[in-house]
Amino acid sequence: MLRRAGPSLRHFLLQRNISAGHSSCSREAKMSRPVQARRLEGIDKNIWVEFVKLATTYSKVNLGQGFPDFPAPEFLREALLRALSGGSPMLHQYTRAFGHPPLVKVLAQFFEKLLGRELDPMTNVMVTVGAYQALFCCFQALVDEGDEVIIIEPFFDCYEPMVKMAGGTPVFVPLRPNPPKDGKLMSSADWQLDPAELASKFNERTKAIVLNSPNNPLGKVFSRGELGLIAELCVKHDVLCISDEVYEWLVYDGKQHIRIASLQGMWERTVIIGSAGKTFSATGWKVGWVVGPDRLLQHLRTVHQNSVYHCATIAQEAVAQGFQRELTLYGKPESYFVQLPKELQQKRDWLVQSLDGVGMKPIIPEGTYFLVADISPFKSDVPDVPNSDEPYDSRFAKWMVKNKGLAAIPLSAFYSEAHKNNYTNFIRFCFAKEEATLKAASDILQKWKQEKTSS
Amino acid sequence: MFLASRNVCCCGIKLRADLLSRSIKHSTSATMPFRHKNARRIEGLDSNVWVEFTKVAADPSIVNLGQGLPDISPPSYVKEELAKVAAVDRLNQYTRGFGHPSLVKALSQVYEKVCGRKIDPLTDILVTVGAYGSLFSTIQALIEEGDEVIIIEPFYDCYEPMVKMAGAKPVFIPLRCKKDGNTASSADWVLDPAELANKFNSKTKAIILNTPHNPIGKVFTLEELQVIADLCIKHDTLCISDEVYEWLVYKGNKHIKIATLPGMWERTVTIGSAGKTYSVTGWKLGWSIGPEHLIKHLQVVHQNTLYTCPTPLQEALAQAFWTDYKRMDHPDCYFYSLSRELESKRDRMAQLLKGAGLKPVIPDGGYFMIVDVSMLNVDLSDVDEKQPYDYKFVKWMIASKKLSAIPLSAFCALETKKQFEKYIRFCFIKKDSTLDAAEVILKNWNK
Repeated sequence: MLRRAGPSLRHFLLQRNISAGHSSCSREAKMSRPVQARRLEGIDKNIWVEFVKLATTYSKVNLGQGFPDFPAPEFLREALLRALSGGSPMLHQYTRAFGHPPLVKVLAQFFEKLLGRELDPMTNVMVTVGAYQALFCCFQALVDEGDEVIIIEPFFDCYEPMVKMAGGTPVFVPLRPNPPKDGKLMSSADWQLDPAELASKFNERTKAIVLNSPNNPLGKVFSRGELGLIAELCVKHDVLCISDEVYEWLVYDGKQHIRIASLQGMWERTVIIGSAGKTFSATGWKVGWVVGPDRLLQHLRTVHQNSVYHCATIAQEAVAQGFQRELTLYGKPESYFVQLPKELQQKRDWLVQSLDGVGMKPIIPEGTYFLVADISPFKSDVPDVPNSDEPYDSRFAKWMVKNKGLAAIPLSAFYSEAHKNNYTNFIRFCFAKEEATLKAASDILQKWKQEKTSS
Repeated sequence: MFLASRNVCCCGIKLRADLLSRSIKHSTSATMPFRHKNARRIEGLDSNVWVEFTKVAADPSIVNLGQGLPDISPPSYVKEELAKVAAVDRLNQYTRGFGHPSLVKALSQVYEKVCGRKIDPLTDILVTVGAYGSLFSTIQALIEEGDEVIIIEPFYDCYEPMVKMAGAKPVFIPLRCKKDGNTASSADWVLDPAELANKFNSKTKAIILNTPHNPIGKVFTLEELQVIADLCIKHDTLCISDEVYEWLVYKGNKHIKIATLPGMWERTVTIGSAGKTYSVTGWKLGWSIGPEHLIKHLQVVHQNTLYTCPTPLQEALAQAFWTDYKRMDHPDCYFYSLSRELESKRDRMAQLLKGAGLKPVIPDGGYFMIVDVSMLNVDLSDVDEKQPYDYKFVKWMIASKKLSAIPLSAFCALETKKQFEKYIRFCFIKKDSTLDAAEVILKNWNK
């Protein structure tokens, strides 16, 4: 690829411009060669940039992007204020690069309990700038050009571009819906992997599989059997598992979140990713972590020390205190990890009812604070455009926010390019919202239905 | 374990499970299968001078003038802003990925004033996790295999591994002391223009400039910047300008932004730091400023690496910037008052070192000072290590004098370490009691 124009011509043009007194400030001259690195190829588009802008501009009720509109818990904010007022001024300075000692210590304690194994806070835990950066470190540390990474569809959209940026090849395997025969509403549990199909995706080039349980956007909580299937394949093919468990506390109906790292043969090949933003309803704090064996985490540490190096000290201090509180209240009714899923389950049920009531068919999520609904009865409002580049559900979601003021995210956002049109009728709603927000959403839907029935 | 599972995959699940459970007990010491190796991009990038020296200096009985972090307090209004922000619900949730709106707006105002040109807050600015994150985003966005990147030695140590991680080749050029070893000022350390010109070729993608310079404290003059700019324009090269110490410039010196030179705005990414501006290194907020056609690529990296920076810290920082923006024409603006405070600490540090018989290189900017320790004649030849002299000296100084610094060869490529091994770097953004403690040690050095 010819990256440069002949130097003499360019030089001549520049010299002419300079001697003509042509100031660079008054013209937007660019470098004469392609300037960006090839690793950015194909990863510049981002659904959130567009949909967040639309929501900001048009939405009256935002059930789109995944963040709570209720406050973070009081004890967390108090922890921050305590750190600010009473804490050492050194809390405003760099802390340990791989994680503020009080935070890695309490995370190790917590996860020791959960995993049933001894953990060294210095080598088995690392703090990152949100789970997002943890994912980035995993791919950069462990994925090379030529490696394949299995991604289960639908998936949190960043997995694909991150694999590509690391030079890897994403290989997709879908969760397929098996609707219940009795006409009841689908559950996220009804979306399943086909074992033979999954097995066929593993080969000698497979470096890792990305698991997200509880799953965004469907809300699926993988069962022990399903995890066992994945684990067996990982062990058989000596494949790593990047386990995104940010919604680990948000499981409903008495279900259990099972950590794949606790299955046979999995600890040594799994990196577990967690998030303070989701755990403590404070997505804006951007504190995440990885837990795993030293021989994998050492490579994540190398990436971390060469990319961001440190994470914000005071946020880590406050999150550490949040975890201390939860450690003492573990399993008790006052524990935030008990209260939050309880509250969210109610909100889930409320939204499910509202959607079902107007004819949108929700897929009842077993976990997370998202649900996906089939909007078929409302499709007539947004006519199909044959040969359109844009998936139908995306056009629908855009129309809905502009015309009804209700923001949601099209399911195609969570599919690879090749599969974006596999499902045309689903959109994702976030229900981590105040009652008033959910009620307002319900009102919009009711009105919309009435308009359709009366027209 | 890898071999075991391969051999028995046809022999039934039970046997495999049994072997696996046995191997789990030994898994931490088992031979690592090939696949679990690190990706090639980080090969050789695992060691880090800070990990080594911050551990050594963590002992509270040691007077720590090593790592560049202030032990002075950030201004109270900065801390107060963060307290105020904590009470606002929505500020605990995600904000705009490329930078919190009020922060990018404040940054655009401050820098418009400084640069004398319009800066679009949404397209010309990216907020990152510290200036470190800006360096990473810039290098990942714009540098790749086949590229060469010129790095001026001594250099802030992360430049080299970041360039390597991007698959590119670092090309080094040293600052040389023009006064034949009897240097008194950071201004005496200069680039040889002919030597610099020789480093540029058709593969050169960028040059990394750091002014005010860490570790020497050099503030590049207009003439020196012009030499660099001319070469960038001639060879159509980018300039990555690390200006984190931009406000810390001492009397008789002026910080000049290379991006303001003709022909440079369109090819320069300028990096700044809240940590250095407001003495809050632990907030880890920085920014990249430049033309849209460059910043847009940094934004793509950012949206694929960490997406957003913490909201409450960005909001508090925005408020602090507004406070100082309003008084940018007054001497009590923190940008200038901090500089004045540090100048007196610089002068004190220099006095202390001279008192111990040393010749410090007085920095024109930044909060570091380098000093030639060879005249102390500390014989470390019996120390059985292949490490450069300054590494051995600092370790010896920590152990025997309870004073820490950073060896200058940490800031040099392998080939150049010998040239700088008689120098060590002290950080002087320290409170009076720390400098008092250092004084005691230095006064009693020969006892």
